[in-house]
Amino acid sequence: MAPKNKNPNGENVVPEVQQKKTQALILKSSDGEEFSISKSAAGLSVAIKNMMEDDCAGGVIPLPLVDGGTLARVITYLNKHAEDGASDEDKRKFDEEFLSGMEVDVLCDVALAGNYLDIRGLFHDVCQRIVNGMKNKSVEWVRKTFRIESDFTAEEEEQIKKEYAWAWEGVDSDAD
Amino acid sequence: MGLSFSFLARSGSSAAAASSRETGLGDLPESCVASVLSYLDPPQICRVAMLNRAFKGASSADFVWESKLPLNYEDVIGRVFEKDGVSFKGLCKRDIYARLCRPNSFDGGTKRVWLDKTTGKTCMLISSNGLAITGIDDRRYWTRIPTEESRFYSVAYLQQIWWLELYGEIEFPFPAGSYSLFFRLQLGRIHKRFGRRLCNSEHVHGWDKKPARFQLSTSDGQEETKQCYLREPGKWIHYHAGDFIVPNSCKSMKVKFSMTQIDCTHTKGGLCVDSVMIVPVDRTRLQRF
Repeated sequence: MAPKNKNPNGENVVPEVQQKKTQALILKSSDGEEFSISKSAAGLSVAIKNMMEDDCAGGVIPLPLVDGGTLARVITYLNKHAEDGASDEDKRKFDEEFLSGMEVDVLCDVALAGNYLDIRGLFHDVCQRIVNGMKNKSVEWVRKTFRIESDFTAEEEEQIKKEYAWAWEGVDSDAD
Repeated sequence: MGLSFSFLARSGSSAAAASSRETGLGDLPESCVASVLSYLDPPQICRVAMLNRAFKGASSADFVWESKLPLNYEDVIGRVFEKDGVSFKGLCKRDIYARLCRPNSFDGGTKRVWLDKTTGKTCMLISSNGLAITGIDDRRYWTRIPTEESRFYSVAYLQQIWWLELYGEIEFPFPAGSYSLFFRLQLGRIHKRFGRRLCNSEHVHGWDKKPARFQLSTSDGQEETKQCYLREPGKWIHYHAGDFIVPNSCKSMKVKFSMTQIDCTHTKGGLCVDSVMIVPVDRTRLQRF
C-alpha cells in the first residue's frame, strides 16, 4: 500500500490528503463545498472524466446536482477504488461496509450521484442494495420505507393490477 | 400534492435544494429509477408499477425490459409466430416480454414455448403428437386418449408392444444457456370415478426386466445417453434424458431426442406418453409442470 494514500483520520476520508498527488482537481458541490481529488480517482467517474477531457472550468468542476455530504461519500468511494495497493478483496469489503450503514435517504442521494456522475460500480452496488430492500415486500411497505407517495386512486390501482395480471398469475404466495 | 409531484419536477430542474429535506426514492429522476428497477425481476418490476405514476412510467421503460428479454428474442418470435410476427410491431418491450411468457403454440400446435416469467429463460414442451412413435397408427399397440392431466389434453397410451421407440426433434433458436430435457411419462392409465383419481395398471408389464434408454444429441455434436427403469404406476414422472448447452444465442440449433426399449425378448405395456420438456438446467421448481 502506498503510504501517501493513507488517511490519517481513519475511514472517513478527508479529500485534502490527495493534495500531495501532483495531479489534483477541485470538485464543487451544489452547496458550495470544495473537495480536492486526484485525477486518477476522479477519472473513475465517466462524467467527470469527460469534463476533464473537455477541460472546462480550469481545474474546478462544479457539480450542481450533488450536495456536499453526498459528494464527500462519493469521493471516499472513488479514493478507495483508485488506491494503488488495494486488492479486489479490499475493495469488496470496503464496498460492503460503505453501503451497509446508510439510511434510505442517504442511499437515494448516493444513487442519484452515482447515476449522474456515471460511476458504474457504485451505482450498481447502490441499486442492488435498494432492490434488496424492496424484494418481496408489500406495496405499502415499499412506499413507506422509500418515501414514495401514491398518486393513484383505488380504481386506478385495480386497473394497474389488471394490466399486469400476467405478472401476478402463479406467483407463489411466499412472494408477499 | 400534485399529480406527479417532486419526482418528475426534479428531473428537469436544478436539484440544488436536495439537502433541505430527506431524499426518498420518489425524488430520483425517472431514468434513474428505471435503472434501479432493471435490477428487479420482471414480476417485481410490475409490482413496483403500483407505487405511483412515476414508477409506473419507469417500470415500462424499454431499456428495463430489453435486459430481461433473451438476446435473440427476435429470432424466437420469427420462429414461433412466423407470419404472425408482425403483430409484435409497435409493442413495447414490456408487452413483448408478457406475450413471450404465455404458452405460445407453434409447429401446428404440437409444441409450446414460453419464457419463465421470473428468470426470462426459455422453456419448451413438445406434445406426444409432435413425436414419431413407432406403430402409433396400429390400434393393437397404441391409442390416443384424452386427459386433463396433459397440457395438450391428450396422451399416447401403449397397451403392449415389442419394439418401443419414441423419437423427436426440434430446430429452434435457443437463447444461450444450459438446458435439460425430460420425458413426462406415467405407467398405468388414469380414470376418474366419483371425482377420485384411480390408476388402472392392468396393462403395466415388462418395465422391470430392462431399463428404458433415453438419448439426446444436438447439431453441434453434444450427445448423451441414459438408462432408467420406469417406475411407480399412477404417477407422472419426468425422466431426464440429458442436458445440452447453447454457448451463444444462435440462429438455430437442432436437438434430437429419443426413448427406446427394444429388447425383443419380452413385451412391455401400460405406458402413458405425455410430452417432452426442455427447461433451463437451474430450473428448480419442476413440479409445476
